[in-house]
Amino acid sequence: MTILFLSILFSYLGGIFLPLCFPNREFIQNTMAHGLASVACLLGLVLGYEGLTDPEPWHIALSSNIPLLELSLRLDRLAAFFLVMISLVGLATSVYALGYVTEYYGKVSMGTLGSLYNGFLLSMTLVVLADNAFFFLILWELMSVTSYFLVVTEHEKNEVRYAGLFYLVMTHIGTAFIILTFLVLFQNAESFSFEAFRQSGHTVPERLGTVVFLAALIGFGTKAGIVPLHVWLPYAHPTAPSHVSALMSGVMVKTAIYGLIRVYFDFLDGEFPWWWGVVVLVVGTVSALLGVMYALMQHDLKKLLAYSSVENIGIILMGIGAGMIFSAYGFPELAALGIIAGLYHTLNHAVFKSLLFLGAGSLLYATHTRNMEEYGGLLKRMPWTGLFFLIGAVAISALPPTNGFVSEWLIFQNLFLAYQIPDILLDILLPIAAAMLALSGGLALACFAKAFGISFLALPRGSHAKHAQETPIPMRIGLGGLAVMCLVLGMGPIFVIPVLDQVSAEFVGVSVAERILTMDGWALTTANFASVSMPALAIMLLALSGVGLLFAHLLGGKLQSRSYKTWGCGLNVTSRMEYTATGFAQPIKRMFSTVYQPTIKLESEMLEESRYFAKRKHFDSYITPFFQQYLYEPVVNIFLRMSDRLRNMTVAHELNLYLGYVFAALLVVLLLVR
Amino acid sequence: MPVFQELIHDVQGQAINVCSMFLLLSSFAIVAQRSLASCVSLYAMQSFFLGFTAMVVANASGVHHLYFAAALNFLIKAWLIPRILHRAVDRLNVKREVEPLVNIPSSLLICGGLMILALYFSQPIKQIGPLLTNDSLALGLAIVFIGCFIMISRRKLVTQIVGFLTVENGLFLLATAITYGMPLIVELGVFFDILVAALIFGVLLHRIQDTVESARPAESRFEEVGEVAP
Repeated sequence: MTILFLSILFSYLGGIFLPLCFPNREFIQNTMAHGLASVACLLGLVLGYEGLTDPEPWHIALSSNIPLLELSLRLDRLAAFFLVMISLVGLATSVYALGYVTEYYGKVSMGTLGSLYNGFLLSMTLVVLADNAFFFLILWELMSVTSYFLVVTEHEKNEVRYAGLFYLVMTHIGTAFIILTFLVLFQNAESFSFEAFRQSGHTVPERLGTVVFLAALIGFGTKAGIVPLHVWLPYAHPTAPSHVSALMSGVMVKTAIYGLIRVYFDFLDGEFPWWWGVVVLVVGTVSALLGVMYALMQHDLKKLLAYSSVENIGIILMGIGAGMIFSAYGFPELAALGIIAGLYHTLNHAVFKSLLFLGAGSLLYATHTRNMEEYGGLLKRMPWTGLFFLIGAVAISALPPTNGFVSEWLIFQNLFLAYQIPDILLDILLPIAAAMLALSGGLALACFAKAFGISFLALPRGSHAKHAQETPIPMRIGLGGLAVMCLVLGMGPIFVIPVLDQVSAEFVGVSVAERILTMDGWALTTANFASVSMPALAIMLLALSGVGLLFAHLLGGKLQSRSYKTWGCGLNVTSRMEYTATGFAQPIKRMFSTVYQPTIKLESEMLEESRYFAKRKHFDSYITPFFQQYLYEPVVNIFLRMSDRLRNMTVAHELNLYLGYVFAALLVVLLLVR
Repeated sequence: MPVFQELIHDVQGQAINVCSMFLLLSSFAIVAQRSLASCVSLYAMQSFFLGFTAMVVANASGVHHLYFAAALNFLIKAWLIPRILHRAVDRLNVKREVEPLVNIPSSLLICGGLMILALYFSQPIKQIGPLLTNDSLALGLAIVFIGCFIMISRRKLVTQIVGFLTVENGLFLLATAITYGMPLIVELGVFFDILVAALIFGVLLHRIQDTVESARPAESRFEEVGEVAP
């Protein structure tokens, strides 16, 4: 395994350094960077597989000259699971990038882009393997910084620089809280190694434990994008090149989930007061609902996907939060079920979100715009991309027979099983969370019906969309692979769940696979409560649609085809008659106007001769960015005012004032040392 | 004759204290004085007392290189530097501290406060061990503080320079009070520095006086950082 790991390391390192050795040979740089990344990801899949199957965790350590820092790596089941996820998505994006980055030839240095891309993948891979808090933080920062540079790839645009700065600030706030988490654990363990954290986790006093809990939630939550710390996602994720967006949204935010599970279940040993779980559950529910609500209002496809990541992180946290509640009440089996559901959704989201982001990248590649209002009619022009995007949209809307359905179904089951908890508050709270999950599922369906329908159906609304062409083959391979994974993960929970069970058994200590799976019928059962068999469901769906067609054929009479102008009334059909993305979202905007607080402005400029004839009308409609306006702006303003005042104090206009400061400082120091 | 020895010892200690007191008094006088020329003269007097203190300390402690330092003190600080500064003041148009930042009575009160602070700070050091000149420790510290205060509260460059030189005198007194002077080579260096500084001040005063009255830093150092619109 060490050899395998070293070959992964060297592949990535090759990917980092070799492209820089061939300046201005863009084809070679592209092939080297993304080819080597693909190789490394393939090897990563193998290593992850071995990690998942080996009974003993693989461990390697290198001491360093820096005190408290040990370069140690450990591949346990949890790390292996995340390694598999990173490598799987990384493989697809790397293949995709082979075609996609040709768009950037001549605009961006291919060597830098490729080398940063490899650095980003490498740092993510090592983050989940790190076994020392210091080392983890270094890699975590490396991951943040490389992704920052990737976000500002097109740095000549003003909005890209703004997004990058926003991301950098937010991620560093998050890192500060992660450092706090580790420092408190270090106080207790007196060592920075994860092994020591693990040994002494259960001796953390409760108050400090609460500090660890909150700091980790805020720190990792900033990276994951929980509400209200999600504000950077819709800026940073869309501005990066699409294959990087896919990695950031699909994989990088998941490293935060990894961190949370590592801290809560591995270090703190799953022993915590019940309200921790409730906090995580509530945060997850709020993120899920608000994430999808804001997603619905976006007309920039990549922004929509970024908000939808907020939703899915919320769903994952709902699973984990439910698991934490059950763990606190001493139901290890149910806790394991919650974690399995959360991890399953983590994997699923990684697959379909990167699929959708890559799909959005393909549309961007073909039409050079991210605005959905300018798409339309792309299914005929890009059939393969359309098909794969549709599969992704179905999966993210949690419809059978795709993977999104399975994990959300597990989370629902887990929430319904709350009746076993002897606490009336939680008996009510968990089903309410389930209801909110159902609501967000419905809204997600509307959101992706919009995303797919407005982009791919009807007539093109822009000239770019009219002349769009199918993307190069590597891009379609990347998309196709992920689409197939969506279906495989959807049909085969019977293969996936035992693996996840092993992962969660590592720290919950209970294996529940036997009780979830009934081996004969390919079915899932939770605690004799409900069961579902995905393949059967798929066959039923196919059959039912066949039956539907048959009925339509039998009862609906003969299909007659007439050559006639549709809805003609004397006019030709034009794209201006279509349903627009704004129109699609309008009813929901009305329904939830308390959340959105929409502002509509209509300004008319009248002719001077007569006030009955308008010369020009200007219509503006936008929703209030609630958290930015009411949470972030006041804080930022306070800081700006403070720093203004401080600057006025320090940038004195008189020499005497400077001297006065020095003298006052001298007196204070003398007073202190006396 | 042990009694005689003790008497001499006592007399020497008293002499040092008296000289130090005069040093302090001249510092107060500088604070109270508006005329630039008088400030410089007062500085010369202060330096003279300082040299005298150094001589007494040298006699009492038997550290002979202090005689040399005292001689240099008389030569450079009590004669040469005041001469340079007097010449510079003669060329100036404005010969008075017109508008000090803190008016004279308040300045004197503040300096009294600083004096008390200095006594307070020197208490723990005095307790460490008996020194021949242990009262001059507090006095030296007070002179340093007062010099700083002159630099802060006065607008004219000449008074600020005098303040700076007062700080230096206070430090010299501190050095003699605590350690019977620094090694000769260091003191030579300090004297040389002070001399060069005074020369430079003299030249600068000549140049600056036409344009600006006090050394003002540029109005604002930092350019406004433009905010990036989303």
